[in-house]
Amino acid sequence: MTGPGRVSSRTESTRVPVARAGNAGHWRRHGRALVSWGVLLMAALAWLGAEFALGQATLVATYTIAGLGVIIIVGQAGQIVLGQGAFVALGAYAQALLVHAGVPALAALPLAAAVGALGGALASLPAGRLGGLYFGMSTLAFALIVEEGLVRWESLTQGAAGMLVPAFALGGWRADTPLAQAGVSLAAVLVAFGLCARLLRSRIGRAWQAVREDEAAADACGIAPAAAKLRAFVVGGSLSGLAGGLYAHWIGFISPEQFGLVFSFELLMLAFIGGARQLAGAAWGALVVVAMPQAIAVLRDTLPGDWARAAGLELVLFGAVIVAVILLRPQGLARAP
Amino acid sequence: MLSLLQVLSSGIAIGCVYGLVALSFVLIYKATATVSFMQGDLLMVGGFAGLALHLAAGWPLAFAVLGAVLAVALLGAGLERAVLRRALGQPHLVAVLLTFGLGMMLRGGVASVPAAAQDMYRLPFATDTVALGALVVAASHLWVVCATVVLMLLLAAFFHFSRAGLALRACAEDARMAALMGVPVARMHTLAWALGAGLAAVAGLLLAPITFVHLNMGFIALKAFPAAVLGGLSSLPGALAGGIFIGVVEAMAGLLLPEGAKDVVPYVLLMAALLLFPQGLGGGRLGGSGR
Repeated sequence: MTGPGRVSSRTESTRVPVARAGNAGHWRRHGRALVSWGVLLMAALAWLGAEFALGQATLVATYTIAGLGVIIIVGQAGQIVLGQGAFVALGAYAQALLVHAGVPALAALPLAAAVGALGGALASLPAGRLGGLYFGMSTLAFALIVEEGLVRWESLTQGAAGMLVPAFALGGWRADTPLAQAGVSLAAVLVAFGLCARLLRSRIGRAWQAVREDEAAADACGIAPAAAKLRAFVVGGSLSGLAGGLYAHWIGFISPEQFGLVFSFELLMLAFIGGARQLAGAAWGALVVVAMPQAIAVLRDTLPGDWARAAGLELVLFGAVIVAVILLRPQGLARAP
Repeated sequence: MLSLLQVLSSGIAIGCVYGLVALSFVLIYKATATVSFMQGDLLMVGGFAGLALHLAAGWPLAFAVLGAVLAVALLGAGLERAVLRRALGQPHLVAVLLTFGLGMMLRGGVASVPAAAQDMYRLPFATDTVALGALVVAASHLWVVCATVVLMLLLAAFFHFSRAGLALRACAEDARMAALMGVPVARMHTLAWALGAGLAAVAGLLLAPITFVHLNMGFIALKAFPAAVLGGLSSLPGALAGGIFIGVVEAMAGLLLPEGAKDVVPYVLLMAALLLFPQGLGGGRLGGSGR
C-alpha cells in the first residue's frame, strides 16, 4: 500500500480495510455480516409478525442509506455536518415533485440523489475557506435556510401543509405491500453499500481518510483538501437524497418539519451509535434509532404509574442514550469486540 | 420614521437576548473549547426555574430570579463535573452531540411536569409600556437593554479586576501555560460552565416577559449561533455586538422584506459572513484548526 493510504495507517483503528484482510477474508466478513442481518430479520419476522417487521425493516434500510451519507462526511472525511437532514429533505421533495410530474419512480430516484448531491455541493462551498467548527456552523445555517425555503415556497411545495406522495411504482407494478417496500429498500441498501465500499477503497476514499487524519499532511501529499471535502459532501448528499426519495414513498406524506434540526441530529446520532469509522455502523445505528421509539412505547405500557405516561419521557430516554453511547462506547456499536 | 424607531428598539432588545446567549456560548467555547448545543435548553430551564420559585414556591420575584440564576449556574457546574469534562480534548462533534443529548434530557425533564408542558406563562414584571416622547417602548424591552448593559459591565469588571477572571482569561488564552503558572484549570472549566449556564438563565428570565415561558423558548438560541460567529467566536463583546446586529437586521427585515424572510435572515447573514469574512466581523482570530 502506498501513497495517501499510508497516512491513515498510523493507528490500529484507522487502517484501510484492504490492508486488514485479503480478498477472501473480505468476502467472508461480508458473508458473516449478511448472515447475521438475515438471522436478525428472521427473528424479527417471527417475533413481531411479518407485516410490522417488514415495515420496520424498510425504515431501518432507508435510515441506513441516509446514515451512510453521514458516515462518509463525518467518519471518513472527518468534517462536521449539522444539517444532513436538509439533503434528505431535498431528495424527498425532488422525488415527490418528479413523481407528481409523471416521471417514473425508478427514474426519479437518481434525480433525487442528484438533487441531494447538489445540496451537498452547495453546503460545502464555505469549506474552501473555513475549517472545522465554522464549517459545521455553515452547514447548520444551510439546513435552516432549506427548511424555511420549503415552508415558504408554497406554490411548489405546498408549504407547511406538506405533500402527499404516491406509492413507488415500476411499470404496472406498485410497491404498496410491506414485502415489496422492504424488497426495494433492501436492494437500494445493498447497492449503496457496494458503491460506498468500492469508493472507500479507491483513491477518493483514501484521500478522505488522509484529510480526516491530518489536513496539512494530506495537502503536502498532493491531495487538495477542498476538493476532497466537496466530493465527500456530494457523495454524502446524494446518499441522503436517495434515502429521502425512498422515504417519501414509504411514508406517503412529507412536510418540512419532518426534516428539521432534530432529524439532522438523529442522523448524526445514528452514525455515532453505530460507529462512524466503518460503513456497517450505519446499519447498526439505524437499527437502534428506529427501534428506540418502539422500545420506549413498550416501556411506557409496562411501567406502572403516571410517571411513565409523562410527555417528556421519550426525550429524556433519547437524550440519555446519546449521552451514554458517547461516554461509554465512543467508537460505536460496530466496533464491539 | 417613528415606526422605524419602534422596530429598531424592539430589534435591539431582542438582539440583546441573542447577544447574551451568544455570550454564554462563546464564554464556554473560549474557556473549555467545548461547543455547547444546550444553551437554549439552559435558557428554558432558567425561565421555568424562576417561574416555579415565584409562582409555585411563592418567593418574592427578585429572590426567585436570583435563585433561578444560581440554580442553573449550579446545574451547569454539576454537568461539567459529571459529564462534560469527559469531552475535553475530543473532536468538536463529541461535545456537540453530548450537549445536544443533555439538552434533550433537560427539555424532556421539564416536559414531564404536566403544568409546564401544557401552558405558556408570563413572569409578572415589566408588563406595561413606557413613553419616551412620541416613542412608546415596552418596559420589558427597556429591562432587557438595561440588564444587558449592567451584566456586561459586571462581566468586564470580573474579567479585568478579579483573580478568578484573570485565571479564566489565562485559561482561554492557553490552558497548558495557565496550568504551568498554577491556575487550577479544571476548576476554571467548572467556573466557565457555571457562568455560561447562569448567563443563559438570565437571558431566559429577560425573555420571559417578551415571549412567555414555554417549552420551545430555547429555540431562540439557534439565532445566537449566527451572532457568535459574526463576533468571531472568540470575543465576548463581539458576541454581544453580533447579537444586537442580528436582532436589528431581523427586525428591519420584518418591516421591509416579504413575510417569512425575517426568519431566514440570521442564517443568510451567517452564510454570507462565513463566506466573505471568515475571521468574523470583529477580525478576531480564527480559533483552532477544526478538531
